[in-house]
Amino acid sequence: MSQPRALPRRVAVVGDGPLGLLAACALRQALPLSEVTVVATAPDPLALAERIGSGLGFTNRLHDRLGVEEDLLIRHAGASHRLVMRYAGWGGAGQQGCAPYGAAIDPRLRTAFAREWGGGPRNAATGAPVGSVGEALADDGRFLRPDGRADSPLADVDYGLRWNVPAYRDLLLALAQRLGVRQASGAVSGIRPDGQGGVAALLLAGEPLAADLFLDCTGPQAALLAQLPGYARIDRGDALRLAVRQEPGVRVTLADRAVLTPAGWLQELAGRDGMLSLLGRAPAAGEAELVAALGGEPQGELTLKPGRAAESWLGNVVALGDAAAHGEPLGFFQLDLAHRQLELLLELLPGRSVDPRERAEFNRRAALMADRVADVIAGHYAAPAAQALFGAREVSPELALALDQFARRGRVPFFEEMPFLPQEWAAQLQALGLPQGLGALARAEGDEAGRQMAERHARQCEAALRAAPPYPAWLQQVLQG
Amino acid sequence: MSEQSDRAVRVVVLGGGTAGWMSAAAIARLLPGQATVELVESEDIGIVGVGEATLPHIRGFVERLGIDEAAFMKATHATYKLGIDFRDFGRIGESYVHPFGSFGEEVAGVPFHHYWLEMQRQGLAGPLGAYSLGVSAALARRFRPPAADSSLGSTYGYAYQFDATLFGPFMREFGLSIGVRRTEGRVVEVRRDPASGDVTRLLLADGREVAGDLFIDCSGFRALLIGGALEEEWEDWSHWLPVDRAAAMPCAHVEKEIEPYTRAIAMPAGWRWRIPLQHRIGNGYVFASAFLSEDEACETIRAAAEGAVLAEPRVLRFRSGRRRKSWNRNVVAVGLASGFLEPLESTSIYLAQMAVTYLVELFPSGATIDPRDRAEFNRLVDMEYDRIRDFLILHYHATTRSDSEFWNHVRTMQVPGSLQGKLELWRECGRLEKYSDGLFYDASWIAVLIGQGKLPRRHDARAAMAPARQVAAALEELQAAVQAEVASMPSHRDYLMRSAARLAEHPA
Repeated sequence: MSQPRALPRRVAVVGDGPLGLLAACALRQALPLSEVTVVATAPDPLALAERIGSGLGFTNRLHDRLGVEEDLLIRHAGASHRLVMRYAGWGGAGQQGCAPYGAAIDPRLRTAFAREWGGGPRNAATGAPVGSVGEALADDGRFLRPDGRADSPLADVDYGLRWNVPAYRDLLLALAQRLGVRQASGAVSGIRPDGQGGVAALLLAGEPLAADLFLDCTGPQAALLAQLPGYARIDRGDALRLAVRQEPGVRVTLADRAVLTPAGWLQELAGRDGMLSLLGRAPAAGEAELVAALGGEPQGELTLKPGRAAESWLGNVVALGDAAAHGEPLGFFQLDLAHRQLELLLELLPGRSVDPRERAEFNRRAALMADRVADVIAGHYAAPAAQALFGAREVSPELALALDQFARRGRVPFFEEMPFLPQEWAAQLQALGLPQGLGALARAEGDEAGRQMAERHARQCEAALRAAPPYPAWLQQVLQG
Repeated sequence: MSEQSDRAVRVVVLGGGTAGWMSAAAIARLLPGQATVELVESEDIGIVGVGEATLPHIRGFVERLGIDEAAFMKATHATYKLGIDFRDFGRIGESYVHPFGSFGEEVAGVPFHHYWLEMQRQGLAGPLGAYSLGVSAALARRFRPPAADSSLGSTYGYAYQFDATLFGPFMREFGLSIGVRRTEGRVVEVRRDPASGDVTRLLLADGREVAGDLFIDCSGFRALLIGGALEEEWEDWSHWLPVDRAAAMPCAHVEKEIEPYTRAIAMPAGWRWRIPLQHRIGNGYVFASAFLSEDEACETIRAAAEGAVLAEPRVLRFRSGRRRKSWNRNVVAVGLASGFLEPLESTSIYLAQMAVTYLVELFPSGATIDPRDRAEFNRLVDMEYDRIRDFLILHYHATTRSDSEFWNHVRTMQVPGSLQGKLELWRECGRLEKYSDGLFYDASWIAVLIGQGKLPRRHDARAAMAPARQVAAALEELQAAVQAEVASMPSHRDYLMRSAARLAEHPA
């Protein structure tokens, strides 16, 4: 007879940035009988995952489940929608591309056997069309929230949300307080080991805070995890110098841009409260080029050293976000990764004591998640012009496989725990100007099939444009509640 | 592009069984202009015709090829299949249905089975299958295609039970109608390019030669090309899956209703199938020859069959395992030439379909095969085989049976490391190592683990958090909804009979 595990009595979340607060809310909701305490720490300027206010589709669904309402984010945290990422110059001067989000179907909603043909979404050539209806909407500045109905012209559309970080954090703080999350103050002055490779208590200005489970949301320093005896970090590639510039003003647009400039890559995050520009500096870039690309003097510069914890769960300490995997903000995947790590923890949530097997399963999957995100980011550097600017880089066997299949066949294989669908990755690689081959299957489909598909797509775009109001008008409607 | 790569690839399929005609038809249909297909078969060589039962993926296959479902069912005397009823596997006298579908729904991020385990501990839960529409409909012998929305009515899938000896010929006719060239003849020699080692042509007994760029070996266990000519190594898995024979024997129906599921009944030296088709019931004893003689197996299946015997028992011989590389040089093995996993979960036709699907996806452009596509094909095929293998081993290993040498062996054997880790995580935490690619997912593992009495030691703490009465009420509500849904379905036979287009000429 199977027995229920004992509930954790207390969970301590170290780090009270947006990630720590969201994790605390999630744990408090999952474990309403347990105490959840957030421990404030000094914000880490390198904790980019949370300092850049943008998620992808997964975050929207997580927010929804946790009661972080999108309309509230629109009303109180300056939230706006990104339907596509526009890429320019990655394939060479003048090259442009557009990568939409979409065809995102939560695989857990489908039973295994519903996936016909032995694999469904893995086949980039025959999968559902990537939601390029998103591009039509972004071009026209129109928006309507997809209602989830399969017959809607927006059925394949997904989006990422961007928001004002301090206001977002305030919302999460209010939610945490409403849920009864406790807050502890006082700097972490040390830890009391539990004798099993984990932590029995934190010392907050000398006072112990005991818990059964600890979350490290302290950013890339991994303040808690890095103190444990089993800690090891896997470094990944070259350090990146990142210049940051924030400009005020209202930027209502449904697209964000990533442009390859002579100074390096420039990624812009638009928003209703201003524009954040990030410049990943090319090794040889001079100051003048940098200022020209950024459109002004940088307001800050950071040096980012990509890498991940070999194991992000040690003993009873689970690291999330930058503490577990630290990477470049290209494509806004870092917070998405952090939130998927949180979801994984909720799936494998331990009882009062941690079972080494579930810890191993978490570490196995969290490592896959981090590695696949690293692959997607490294994919940017495989674009022709990026290679010329940053130099050729080593790629993982998985990325090498994907790049080769894409180049020769236009196919992206399925990998476990990848951050998006193969066809979304294919759309991104195409937008980055990577040459795309044509497989025999696509050749065989012929012009007629292509023409029919294009016609169907055009009709769907027209229907979407008819249904969707101009984005500012749509926003205004939500703001007026 | 060079001239050579512009011309269509000449595909030669060797073998006119199920895998051969599936491969030929799929390539001819899906790669027009890219490939020409010639299939070499000999009327002197019989086909094994394995796989009387299928998995839901077969529907995607026939649909993608543009085959009408009713015509396909009519030609193969097919009935609908909602799952497999496993009897006496975990313990004699116990049974469960492994459905094409799920059990309950997760609540607050915690999978359903944790709540079920908690309620079961408190004596407040019914059998797991009561919370699965697929299981409940199967046991009530009712059928209707699943709903296309996301309601309870959509939580199952279906496949077919059909006459495998008729499926190959049906695909042959279809293949011939879309331009597959059929060549009758027996291969006496395989010619290879001395420089590259590639197969260049097949020499037939009457002296004709069949040349090609890409050869698909569907010659069954003989594996004339992949095994015979290329000597690709066979990885033997019979130490984990020791059954190596089947004594098959059809009999007449004994009752009016037709079960929309396959029965798999554990036996002292293996298990036996019972597969109801439109016009007969297929029976077969799958056994390990190390533990039982062929004569004894034939006697057993004759005694077990309920209806009038329609043919004498026929013994098939096989061996579980696979080629180290299913695609070597310019030879791709599909079907039994590539590997075999015993029929316990009806995976034979799926394995052929899976291989030809990947082949179509990675099909060479022009006559030159890129070794990277070959490696990718082999990676995908290996992954599928390995995951199915572990799932099959589970059925034997997760048992308390100690009534025969056979069951003692499989109960106590060392299982693959990949399965061992999975079983330990389940045993201690009630959780499953997750993968999203391959064939059998969490719901299938849970069906077998719980169905065979392998309950974990502990389950998720959150499942015990809500008041028991509240959870029990939710379970009752779900069970009632499942029962109401089942009650609204027609009987399997009635549904089948609704359309004459899917009925064979002389159904039972």
